[in-house]
Amino acid sequence: MKEPKIKFDHVTKIFETRNQSITAVKDYSMEIQEGEFVAILGPSGCGKSTLIRMLDGIIPTTSGDIYIDGQKVNHEKKKMPQEVLRKMGFIFQQPNMLPWFTVRQNISLPLQVFALKGAKWEKQVDELLEMVGLKEYANAYPSEISGGMLQRAGVIRAMVHDPEILLMDEPFGALDELTREQMNMELLDIWSKTGKTIVFITHNIEEAVLLSSRVYVMGTQPGRLVETVDLNLPRPRQLSMITQPEFIEYRQKLERFIGKIDLSKIK
Amino acid sequence: MKKKSRISSVAAPVVSFLLIFFIWEMACVVNEIPAWFLPKPTEIFKSMVVDFPEFWPHILVTLEVVLIGFLIAIPVGLTIATLVTSSPLLNAAMSPYITFLVTTPLISLIPLLMLMMGYGLNMRITTVVIQSFAVINMNACTGFNNVPVIRKELMQSMGASPVKTFVKMTLPSAATDIFTGLRLAAIFATTTCISVEYSAGNTGLGSQIIKYSQYLKTTQSFACIFYVTIIGLIMYSLISIAQKKIVSWKE
Repeated sequence: MKEPKIKFDHVTKIFETRNQSITAVKDYSMEIQEGEFVAILGPSGCGKSTLIRMLDGIIPTTSGDIYIDGQKVNHEKKKMPQEVLRKMGFIFQQPNMLPWFTVRQNISLPLQVFALKGAKWEKQVDELLEMVGLKEYANAYPSEISGGMLQRAGVIRAMVHDPEILLMDEPFGALDELTREQMNMELLDIWSKTGKTIVFITHNIEEAVLLSSRVYVMGTQPGRLVETVDLNLPRPRQLSMITQPEFIEYRQKLERFIGKIDLSKIK
Repeated sequence: MKKKSRISSVAAPVVSFLLIFFIWEMACVVNEIPAWFLPKPTEIFKSMVVDFPEFWPHILVTLEVVLIGFLIAIPVGLTIATLVTSSPLLNAAMSPYITFLVTTPLISLIPLLMLMMGYGLNMRITTVVIQSFAVINMNACTGFNNVPVIRKELMQSMGASPVKTFVKMTLPSAATDIFTGLRLAAIFATTTCISVEYSAGNTGLGSQIIKYSQYLKTTQSFACIFYVTIIGLIMYSLISIAQKKIVSWKE
């Protein structure tokens, strides 16, 4: 079998505070193949944000290993090397634009940090701006454009250095329902065109079913993997699919898992 | 509507200014208050013009001390704030001394500094630096500590170097707080400079205020006070202009 693109091998994260230690993620393992679109689903406090931050080198692991392309990338103390980080693009829950830079400067930030210069990369910026309809707003400041536009800018900033993996931390959670649906469809479009590996974090069951090929369901206290559900739904996915029986079946299945978690919490 | 409010925002302070000085003038004239006790504003303004050649060298000395002290305090304050906020160890080691500098009334240090450094410019500038860098440092620390976590994560997710992170993200994030510190420091610098001149040497506007008061030349004393006010105002507005130029974005 092919080497998985991303592999978590019994990863645990414990946060030590002054008077207690909190297990945010416990003994988490998963394998994601190249080009897959997977969702990590769970209620708030289940450690899904911690999980994706460990993968992107923002938070160090406590124990266990993370592999990308078969190479061990995590380290308990040291920072993740930049050539590994270059393989990934992180999309935050908020647009997270720097207000003193124009849209174009914000999107070019990873190019500067990764020291990618030249016409090829400038062209990449232009193409991405064009792709999400921000070309005319390239020289606007973040405070001058709408929330949906800002989040689009956040998506293409994560793509500008041509990463193989996109990590999305509830990326459209702060947007209104209509804009979110639209963004989800655009995301599927980008994914089918580029074939990038996508790890999508969400607490929205419908969103997880609509977008991904596999859903990892996480539970709380401690944050852990509860269930893995493979979704055999046809591609390309469409919004109209949410009323089809198979879709509803998967949704109900996931609801039961999430429900189980909530019940165990009440006890 | 907008135009109207702009006119009133300019006209209102001018009118109130004129009114206050008119009342002051009238109070002096009607009650026949002697000039050595409270001079008439018109006399003070006259002295500011007529005695200007006499004041000018002292204005220059005060300006020099305030400006040089302030300009040294900026990099000192910012550097220490950067070091302190980037390392818990340095923070633990240095913060007691910064608190000590802020809480000790500076006046109490002046005799000691005079003993060690004499009456000259060096001693005055040193005093101004000590007093104003602490304020800059404290506000910059607030700014650096309040950088949103999500922005730090953005830089971490790209593995940005400490220098790049500082220049592109941390410094602009803290800019508003830094400018608050600079504005306070400009006031502190002027105040400190005058306090030092009260007690050390016979140059600078502070020393002149004392001198004229002792000779009961209250009019000239007031003229010097007004020049001090002007220096303070100039410093304050220069920083406000710089802030508007530099921090031009909306959060």
